Formats: sequence, C-alpha cells, structure tokens
Amino acid sequence: MVVAWATLRRSWLVTRRAYPWTYFVGNLLLGVLTMGLAYLGLRVLGGGEVGAEFREKSGTGDYLAYIAVGAAALMFVKHCILWTGKAMIQEQREGTMGALIVAPARRLPYLAGFSMFSFTAVALEVAVLFGCATLLGVRLAPTGWGDGLLAVAGLALAVFGMSVVLSNVMIVAGEAHITQNSVFYAIAVLSGFTFPRPYLPEALQWLGEVVPVTAAMDVVRGVFNAGTGVDPGRLAATLLIGLLYTTAGFLAMPWAERRAMERSY
Amino acid sequence: MRHALRVLRAEALKQHRQIFGSKLVLFSMLVWPLLQLAEAYYMLHPLQGGDSGGPRLLAFLATGTLGFTFFFSLVQSSWHFSMERQSGTLELLFLSPANRLVVVIANGFGALVQNVWLFVSFSVAMFWWLGVVNVAHPGMYAVVFLALLVPAVAWGAFLNSLLIFSRDSAFVYTLLDDPMWFVSGVRLPTSALPELVRAAGSVLPLTGSLAIVRGALLDGQGVGDLAGELVTLTGLSATLLLAAVVALRVGEARAQRTGQLKLF
Repeated sequence: MVVAWATLRRSWLVTRRAYPWTYFVGNLLLGVLTMGLAYLGLRVLGGGEVGAEFREKSGTGDYLAYIAVGAAALMFVKHCILWTGKAMIQEQREGTMGALIVAPARRLPYLAGFSMFSFTAVALEVAVLFGCATLLGVRLAPTGWGDGLLAVAGLALAVFGMSVVLSNVMIVAGEAHITQNSVFYAIAVLSGFTFPRPYLPEALQWLGEVVPVTAAMDVVRGVFNAGTGVDPGRLAATLLIGLLYTTAGFLAMPWAERRAMERSY
Repeated sequence: MRHALRVLRAEALKQHRQIFGSKLVLFSMLVWPLLQLAEAYYMLHPLQGGDSGGPRLLAFLATGTLGFTFFFSLVQSSWHFSMERQSGTLELLFLSPANRLVVVIANGFGALVQNVWLFVSFSVAMFWWLGVVNVAHPGMYAVVFLALLVPAVAWGAFLNSLLIFSRDSAFVYTLLDDPMWFVSGVRLPTSALPELVRAAGSVLPLTGSLAIVRGALLDGQGVGDLAGELVTLTGLSATLLLAAVVALRVGEARAQRTGQLKLF
C-alpha cells in the first residue's frame, strides 16, 4: 500500500508541476467531437430520431446519452492504458527499469498506484465531457448510485487487467506507439463504445468477448443507458476475465522484464 | 529541375528508411484507417433509415477516410520533420545548397506517396465492390487524384515550413488530428455543420478536396459542375505554397539573427 500511495503521490506531483495540456486537450477533444458528430448526425441524418433497430439492439432510444456514456468510458479506458500500461516502458526509456526491478517494491502496488492516479486524473476530463453533453441536452439517469459505482469498478478492473498485459507486450516489443493505437482503434470497434455490438458481424462479436472491457461496457450500458440495472451474468464475466488478465499479466511479468533487460544490455 | 529531382529522390529515400524500418508500419497504413472507417460507419448507421442507404453511407465515409489519410499522413510527416530540429539535422539541411522550398515539398511528397498507396488500393477495391462509383467520364479519375495530391503536398510544405518558428510543434498536431476530420466534413456533409465550424473548415484544403472527390466519384459531376470548387482549391494550394515560401524566408532570416535553429 505504501508503494501504491507513493506512486500516486509522485504522479500527481509531476502532473501538477508540468501539466500535460496537449495530452489533456487531445484526449478531451476526441470525446467532445464524437459528441458533436453524434448531435449533428442525429439532427441532420436522422431528423432527430434513431431507427427502431437501434432501440432494439441498445435497449434505449436516447442516442446522445448512449454516445456520451461510450465516449466518456473510452476516455477512461485510454487514460488508464496510457498511464498504467505505459508505466514500465516509460521506466525502460528513461533507463530506470533496472533500478525498479532491483528495488523491493512489488509490481502490483506500483501499477495500482498509476491506475489510481489515472482514475482520479481522468475525472476532470469526464466532467468536462459530461458538461458539454448536458449543454446538448443529455440527461443521464443511472439506476442507482450503488449500481453506478459497481459498473465503474468493473470497468476499472477490466482496464487494469488489460494494462498489465499490455505493459508486458510493450516492454518485450520495445515500442508503445503501434501497440497502444492498434488497441485503441480495435476496442473502439469491438467493445461497443459508440454503437451497440449486435451491429457487428457475429465473428467480431465473439472476438470482442476476448477483450475485458467488452463485458464491462455491457454492465455500464445496463446501468447508465438501458435502465435495466447491473446484469449479474455480465458482471461475473467482467470479474472473471478481468482477474484472468491481471493474473496472467503478473505471472508473465518476470519473463517480460528479463527479456526487456537482456535486450538493453 | 535536375536539382529538384535529386532533392526529391534523397528525401524520398530518407522517408523510406525512416518509415519502413519495420513491418509494423502496415498497421498505420491500412489497419488503423480501416478500423476508424468501421467505427464511424457503425456509429452513424443507426441514424440513416433502413438498410438501403448502407453502401451510400459507407462510400461517403470511405471517401472521407481516404482524404483524411492523405492529409493526416502529412501531419505525421511534419511531425517527423520536427525531429530534425530536435536532433540538430535541420540546421545541417539549411547549410546544404538544397533549395528550401524543394526540401519541404519533397519531404511531404515522399512521405505521402509511400504512406497512402496501400489504403488507396484498398479503397479502389472497396468502391468497385460496393458498386457506388458514378463518374461523368474516365478523365475524372485523374481530376480526383490531382485534387487529393496537389493540395495535400502544398499542405505538407506549409506545415513543414512552420516548424522553423517553433520548437514545440506538438500542440499544432493535436489540433490538426480530430478537429480536422470534424470541420472538414470527413464523417458528415459540411452542410450539416454549424456556420462557424464550416467557416473554419473552409480554410483547410481537405474540405475542398473532399467536395471534389465526392462530387466526381459519387455524384457523377464533371469538370464544369466542379469548376468553382476546383478554382478555390487551386487558389488555396497556391496560397499555402506562397505562405510556405514566405515562412521559410522570414524564419531563416530570423534563425540567422538569433541562432535559434541550433538551440532546440
């Protein structure tokens, strides 16, 4: 816990002194412009209405709220991957990975500290996005505070698991740019952030199940959009696959670190 | 002319070695634009009534993605060009006898051709498969190609020339990624955009290029129908090139006075 707290404090300290505005603006712009696209598209293409097929597949007729929740969730996921998933490769690039490996700090609290930082830092971006969504007339009605917290916690676990695995991939491959962007574009299609997954061909829907955030998004949708509350089956799937990724990631980490260190020398 | 061709060849070779160091470049050349296209299609699909408009929407978005790939690949190559400043080689480039304007044009052109060929080939195959292409006469394919290539190269030269003034170009590129697709009508017709956004989009050459590409490929318009857009786009490209010349002159004079090219 000491390690997690220290990592969280360090990250906030660095961010407060040199706030990465470019990064903040870039992440926020994508969310806000996606909302803008949805709003204008709904007015011009749809004449203010979505088709019956959308209602059937998403469980809601409120297209703008659907997009707002998806855009905010995508921002949340990207933020966590960019901080937690890239923490180790950042150490590698700065030449401090060796020191981290010999330090008595364990990896779980270290990466958990980064996650806690990213979850608190993204709150500002999500608040600005929902502020814009409110101006466009979006009103969110979660089925309950407890449900909302449970859904967000599920998403957090799912993205943490993904980040741990991606962290290994990045240090073994020695590159982050292609990996992170490929993952971002792929989950935007597979995991149902901006459209209901039943629109996808069946094979891609199944492929989406391999990604932990897919099940987590189904829980989020039930609570924030469809009004059906927490789906216990999907929540269980989120926990199972999230924990599976986290465990596999930490088990493979010593091997990945060894590979990365051997390559640097 | 021979001088220009030599610079072009050297820059193209440099780009090739820089970009194609690894097979992973295929992701940014084909996989990313495809995934972006798929996401935009599925996101807007619920808004158009029935399935009959599907191929039409896909063709509209595919032309948008194609145009965006052209212009964004130049934003990326300018990003790479800004590394020249950080690694100190920009100063060496300016000490060489190579013509400055030719260098910035060649840099953009070399990157563009090598970056977009794969997605262009894919798009051609997709248009053929969708059966949505409706051209007035075969010559319009050349018009479409030039309407994408010429403004894109002018755009690249302009972006590259701006780098001489700033050491931190990251902000410019953040502004030209997502906002560019929004204001240029990549995913929505520009007529759907608010007045202010449309005005902002009209200064970007991508907006004019897309109007011509869509008019010629999807609506069967000839050169006569698109004359207004063609003239505007030519004027805009010339303005961008002229601005690049001025920026290079002023920037170089300033750099000579302050010595800041060396000081990152």
